[in-house]
Amino acid sequence: MTTPPRRNDPFAPAPDPDPTPSDQGPASDRFASDRGLAALSGAARVPVSRRPDEASARTGTGIGAGKGQGKGRRGPADPVRALMHRHHDLCARAVDPLEIAAGLEAHGVTDRTAARFRHRDVFSLAEELYARVPRAEEPALPAAAAPGRALGVRMTLAALWLLPGALCAATASAALRVDAIRKDATIGLALGAGGAALTLIALWLCLRHGPLRVRGRGAGRGGRIAHALGTGWLLGYAAAGDWLLTGLLDGRRPYDAAPAAGAAVVLALAAAPAAWCARWFAVGARRRLAVSRGLEEFASGVRPLFAGVVTAFLCALAALVPAARLTVPGSPPATAHLSTAEGAAVALCGLLFLARLLAVHGFRRAALSGIAVACAVQATALATTAAARLPGAGPLGEPVARLTAAQGAAAVPAAACGAAALALLIHAFGALCRASAHGGPGARTARPARDPRTARTTPDRAPYGVHRAAQGAHLAP
Amino acid sequence: MRVGLLTEGGYPYATGDARVWCDRLVRGLAQHEFEVYALSRGPGQEATGWGELPRHVGRVRTAPLWGEPEPRRGGWGGRRQRRRFAEHFGELATAISAPYGSGAPYGSGVPYGPGASHGSGASHGASAPHGSGVPGCSTDQADRFANGLHGLADLAGEYGGLSAALRSEDAVRTLERACRTLGAPHGAQRARVADLLNVTEALERALRPLSLDWYGEGAGGDPGLSGVDLCHTATGGAAVLPGLLAKRRFGTPLLLTEYGVRLRECYLTGAAGAEGGPPFPEGGRPLSGPVRSLLTAFHGRLAAEAYARADLITPGNTHTRRWQERCGADRERLRTVYPGMDAARFAEVGEQCAAPSEGDDRTLVWVGRIEPPKDVIALLHAFAEVRRWQPDARLRIIETRRGEDAEQDGYPAHCRALADHLFPDEAADAHSAGDSPVSFERLGDPEVPTLADAYAAGGVVVLSSVVEGFPVGLVEAMFCGRATVSTDVGAVCEVIGGTGLVVPPRNPRALADACLALLSDAERCARLGAAARARALELFTVEQNVAAFRGIYLELMSHCPVPREEVGEGGGPLPFARPAEAHVPGRWTAGRDGDGFGHRTPGPAASRPAPEHTPTWAGPPPREPLGVGPCPSEERA
Repeated sequence: MTTPPRRNDPFAPAPDPDPTPSDQGPASDRFASDRGLAALSGAARVPVSRRPDEASARTGTGIGAGKGQGKGRRGPADPVRALMHRHHDLCARAVDPLEIAAGLEAHGVTDRTAARFRHRDVFSLAEELYARVPRAEEPALPAAAAPGRALGVRMTLAALWLLPGALCAATASAALRVDAIRKDATIGLALGAGGAALTLIALWLCLRHGPLRVRGRGAGRGGRIAHALGTGWLLGYAAAGDWLLTGLLDGRRPYDAAPAAGAAVVLALAAAPAAWCARWFAVGARRRLAVSRGLEEFASGVRPLFAGVVTAFLCALAALVPAARLTVPGSPPATAHLSTAEGAAVALCGLLFLARLLAVHGFRRAALSGIAVACAVQATALATTAAARLPGAGPLGEPVARLTAAQGAAAVPAAACGAAALALLIHAFGALCRASAHGGPGARTARPARDPRTARTTPDRAPYGVHRAAQGAHLAP
Repeated sequence: MRVGLLTEGGYPYATGDARVWCDRLVRGLAQHEFEVYALSRGPGQEATGWGELPRHVGRVRTAPLWGEPEPRRGGWGGRRQRRRFAEHFGELATAISAPYGSGAPYGSGVPYGPGASHGSGASHGASAPHGSGVPGCSTDQADRFANGLHGLADLAGEYGGLSAALRSEDAVRTLERACRTLGAPHGAQRARVADLLNVTEALERALRPLSLDWYGEGAGGDPGLSGVDLCHTATGGAAVLPGLLAKRRFGTPLLLTEYGVRLRECYLTGAAGAEGGPPFPEGGRPLSGPVRSLLTAFHGRLAAEAYARADLITPGNTHTRRWQERCGADRERLRTVYPGMDAARFAEVGEQCAAPSEGDDRTLVWVGRIEPPKDVIALLHAFAEVRRWQPDARLRIIETRRGEDAEQDGYPAHCRALADHLFPDEAADAHSAGDSPVSFERLGDPEVPTLADAYAAGGVVVLSSVVEGFPVGLVEAMFCGRATVSTDVGAVCEVIGGTGLVVPPRNPRALADACLALLSDAERCARLGAAARARALELFTVEQNVAAFRGIYLELMSHCPVPREEVGEGGGPLPFARPAEAHVPGRWTAGRDGDGFGHRTPGPAASRPAPEHTPTWAGPPPREPLGVGPCPSEERA
């Protein structure tokens, strides 16, 4: 930030060739008075008196360019002007005179130099400069710089988000088709398990980088574990919850993998639009941060952006459902109406997306509560249904039974996830449109290596007793 | 006596500034117990770990000023807390968004600490200090800043989670409101939302010491700073916050040592360096004007607050002292303590200086890093002039370290090229190989294995810098008993004090004249060298530094003891544990010691650099410096 000015360019350090009298006057006065102080070595201070022969030799060779010396040549009427010109950038950029003083000192200006400009010290010189140089109007910051990657690289990274969806679709399709061909289920099962594992790994890798990465430490370890458990429960319910609920209500049935596979494909495919939407939101919000002049202005700019992002994500989900139908054999035709099970998958996608978005922007607690509510509703549905089978507790299962009878077993997760997602949406609309949710670049600093609270050591000393305070008051250590 | 040493980005870690002298101080004062409270500046620092600590360091506690804030603890977010936070943070924000230099200069202070009733630490600063242009600080602005700061500290102590609050929307909104008020300076008025966010984040990091558990409420009955008898802040900046809090809560005396003004560094690095670590690691973009404006205002107010509250401030040289006075430090509480350097390395060379070795006295030596601020080119031009009058003179340029800055790599090469151009190889006759009178050498070469050898290589040591802080090389040359010619930059005049020649910077001819004067007068060289060594041994040794702090510790302990209930062996009250004089206003030892409060007698008169530089300790201070009892006017009444 502090580059030496041109004048200080060491490559052309020509000594001031024409020192004006105002240059020499105060300095030599001071040296003369200093000489009186130099108790130890006579005329220790310099300028060393020049020997006469030397002086003549110099003027002869023309090295001594200071011909005007002693002739009473007057300096410029405004000596500060040259300095002002030389340090114009520093002065125009400075936020207060002390900054100019610091900058001048870094360029070698001392109180002695300031005396040349008829100032008492560097500070008062800096105050004059600050008062005389108009402040530079800073150009509006360009929208936050893109993260320095080439467009191609960014496109590739964005396309990587399709990987989990593609893996999942391929797995589901292959496993179900193999199942349909062969009576033996083990190969299909192995295929499904392997594909699921691959998909999860891909998803995990994707979530660790890119726009959906949750930075920094969460609400502690407990919060993170709870988050993982909640998400796991929701996914598990999407896989087997309906089957379990129907089994509890109507007795055992064989497990049908097709709806679960469809839901899984929708979920995995939704990772890509989720990442893209999150990135769009982050970039747009950052751009608005840089240009907004007030918090209200920012909020009013971000609200439409957020609404657009959510709408885009929902539209993408609507497009993903037919895509999933095409890949999973045994699904209804692509043009059919949205079934309840697919509605549940879509609601789950929305819930997970919003929770992740909130967590990314630092609202981990809200994200966790949204997921927890959905989990609680699902668990309650299962528990009441199970309890209703106990003698005398029949009425407990009545609401779930009615709902299931009307809309199918998938209505329970659809309602749970939909309600939670709606609540999260309302919360996010308030929270994510605030400026503090989009903390500046400083929010992305490295994580501390260890517990940052405080670390302590007591190198082999006895613990301090109660009487230390009394001891400490004595003067003698 | 237990001393709490507060550092930022320094001591117990193996890297960082203020590390070496802290280590020497702690080792030199083995009769005291030290507790080190360190704030670290970055992950690199934590990764390097701590240096070896002596046994009398009882406890080391560290906290980072970087990275993510701690997760919020429960209890925050109630309506009442939020209102209180908004109120206190609003005061702070108003104070830092006040325009520069408005109102009366900073002076009076609110009664401070529990010691107000005990008469300690309450009455200093009753009159306006010397520095009239405290950075933008009027009295009520400073009070407002202090109130806001301590309000936030209390809040953090009660509920915790200050970091989360400082990053919340409330904080941003409060700051915005303060910036948009009518009197706010232009810089603050123009702040955009991104600037406001950057400022709140930087403030959150800078204010992290407020919410640490160092103040006695820590787990396990750890007394923390409430148990120490003296807080010694080794640097300015964020490290003064724990000291200020301890002073306010427990009345612990605060000693502030600054070898470089943190506020100035903060200005130089665009208000970035002082809040710990590289503030925006990915990118390192320059901060925008509004951010710099607000952050430097914050650090200026913090420095002013620290200078006003500290019981004693020890700048390392006159330059630091001038900045401190400018920022509102009371002259009477300033006491220059020069940094100590290890003289033992140079003892052998220094002792030999009475009998200079053969042929050396025709050689000039320059030691340092070849960088533009050192102005080696002016040295070469000066040497060309010297050679005109003294053809057998030689110049040895000894490079200690290569500059790290990549863009300056061309500078040494340029210097070599210039030297080749100015001084072609010379041979004694037509049959022998020639040699240039200017040689570039590297420290560690066989000819100059150590620094002492480097200085011993010539009769006169030259310093040609145009910019210099505290000239370490010059002090080393003085230890070696070498006559020196230096440019009048930084603290050179103050250091050399008449035991060497001083010329204006950027003046090769004056430099050449001075060198010639010394080269032609070996006796004067020897005399100056001996005087320089004597002066350096008196002022700049580690022992001197440690002895000064030993005295200051004892003095602070006796003048501003921590007001504690004295407890005897059995837990009962201990009567007469504190002498009655402790409660008597005025001077304890009036008329007994020379200048009243143990000020070091001024050095030889030659050490005064210039009339307007006359240090305040040269004249008798007008009144009781340490704030015990009322000021003299009240005394007379």
